[in-house]
Amino acid sequence: MLEVRGLTRRFGGLVAVNDLSFEVNEGEMIGLIGPNGSGKTTTFSMLSGALRPSAGTIAFNGERIDGLKANKVCRKGLARTFQVVQPFPDITATENVMIGAFVNVGAGRQAEAKAREMLERVGLTPKADTLAKELTLLQLKRLEIAKALATEPKLLLLDEVAAGLTSTEVDVMLQLVRQLNTEGITCIIVEHVMRFVMNLSHRCIVIDFGSQIAEGTPEEILNNPAVHAAYLGEEASIA
Amino acid sequence: MSLKMPYIRILVVGALICLLPLVLDTFYMHIAVLVLIWAFLACAWNIIGGYAGQHSLGNGLYMGIGAYTVAYLVNRFALTPWVGLLVAIALSAAAAAFIGWIVFRYALKGAYFALVTIALTEAAVYVVSNIPALGGAGGMQMEYRGNSLAYMQFAGQSGYFYMGVLMVVFILLLTQWYKSKRFFYQLIAVRENEDAAEALGVDTVKAKIKANVMSGVLCAVGGVFYAQYFLYVGPRSVFGEVVSVQILIYAIVGGLGTTWGPVVGAVLLVPLSEIARGQLGNSLPGSQLLLSGVVMVLTMLFMPFGIIGAVARLRQRWQHRSATPLVDSQGGEAS
Repeated sequence: MLEVRGLTRRFGGLVAVNDLSFEVNEGEMIGLIGPNGSGKTTTFSMLSGALRPSAGTIAFNGERIDGLKANKVCRKGLARTFQVVQPFPDITATENVMIGAFVNVGAGRQAEAKAREMLERVGLTPKADTLAKELTLLQLKRLEIAKALATEPKLLLLDEVAAGLTSTEVDVMLQLVRQLNTEGITCIIVEHVMRFVMNLSHRCIVIDFGSQIAEGTPEEILNNPAVHAAYLGEEASIA
Repeated sequence: MSLKMPYIRILVVGALICLLPLVLDTFYMHIAVLVLIWAFLACAWNIIGGYAGQHSLGNGLYMGIGAYTVAYLVNRFALTPWVGLLVAIALSAAAAAFIGWIVFRYALKGAYFALVTIALTEAAVYVVSNIPALGGAGGMQMEYRGNSLAYMQFAGQSGYFYMGVLMVVFILLLTQWYKSKRFFYQLIAVRENEDAAEALGVDTVKAKIKANVMSGVLCAVGGVFYAQYFLYVGPRSVFGEVVSVQILIYAIVGGLGTTWGPVVGAVLLVPLSEIARGQLGNSLPGSQLLLSGVVMVLTMLFMPFGIIGAVARLRQRWQHRSATPLVDSQGGEAS
């Protein structure tokens, strides 16, 4: 479904992402993990079209998408959420989601119906008519997902949707993402909350200083000494 | 509230306004026509400035294109202003699309966008002032050809007044209708957060260019009406930053990105500055501009969302207050 070859991004002299290659198959849940500043979000930005790669290719369903603008990538069925939530603050939650729904729907009333359906799906129905700027962090993270879902993605990039949430909230989010996957949406998850990412991923890719250092099932990753040295530390466990 | 309600409100207010000529004398009819012209222009600016959030300081450019096109075609070829109107629409659309394409393609935002637009409208003043065929610095006088709708000219003010009412009602209905459409949601997404809008499939560059064209064309239509009412166009009276800023003051004071805001702003401020001009014009020339400036500063300080925003907030607070007893009793039980 997604094929990344030699993906590289330089910022001046800094190589944020270096020759990254990986594949994602339909229906998979991929964890993309690594220490702060290892290039995870930069990778997401390139996949979603927000940032142009310095080198390398990205193919989505057999079609090259590197160099396309973000709105085109989104309309091809690849949506993302933002690590730092990006709501439209002065309009309601429903209206926020409607913007995404308009990708596939022309009429306002249909878009609204679709938006309310997405809010239901992420459990935000009680806040449907609240201004986005009045929502809590958990609600905003759910709103991010609802907005992305409204565009009907085949591949969803989730950038730290569990970060900053309490333990109970992480459980709620975990269930929600698992549900999306069973509904057929392929996901790539960037996450520091190990419990979240290890529970969800079928396969993990670990990057450090922009380069891939390991790939495998969550168990393999947790037992990989290189990953421990670079990221997890000696004490890490599934918790 | 029914979905039709906002439209009915616009039509009812429009119909009531049509009774004004029965009670207003010539001086106040003149002010009323000015209110309608500026309300229309402010509504037009509101599309790019209020909804799309791109604060153009140069919509005088399009107003000027409209006014000069009609004046030139009527004077030079004795065409009816209705043909001039169509040409003005085409020219302003082309100009707004071209400028929008350049400016938004290179992602000029905020203050940079404002500066480019102000530079363009100022440049237009000097260009026009140096073209003898357009009357140079002195502008162009248009001939009065008689009381006729075909010439878009009327003997008294009431003809202009009714035409102005039609225009303002039209632009309000248009705005209200567009509000439920994909295009307006996309503009609001652009205003609120461009990166997020792009990520949700909004072609932000295209949306902004479209908004610029819509706003520009409507400003040109306002310019045509202005020229027909005064039967005179001058470089500084239709181009330049003074008119451009005047347009947006009404929208900001009334309420950015609201259907009625620009109209409310014009209704309050145009008479104020006209009366100031009449009363103090000789002793304190320019005092009407000062007055507009003061009102705008006060608005921004005390009503950052304009008059419409302040009213909405008061209404909300009032509703909250009427709901307070419930909250109190619950609080009482808890403690």
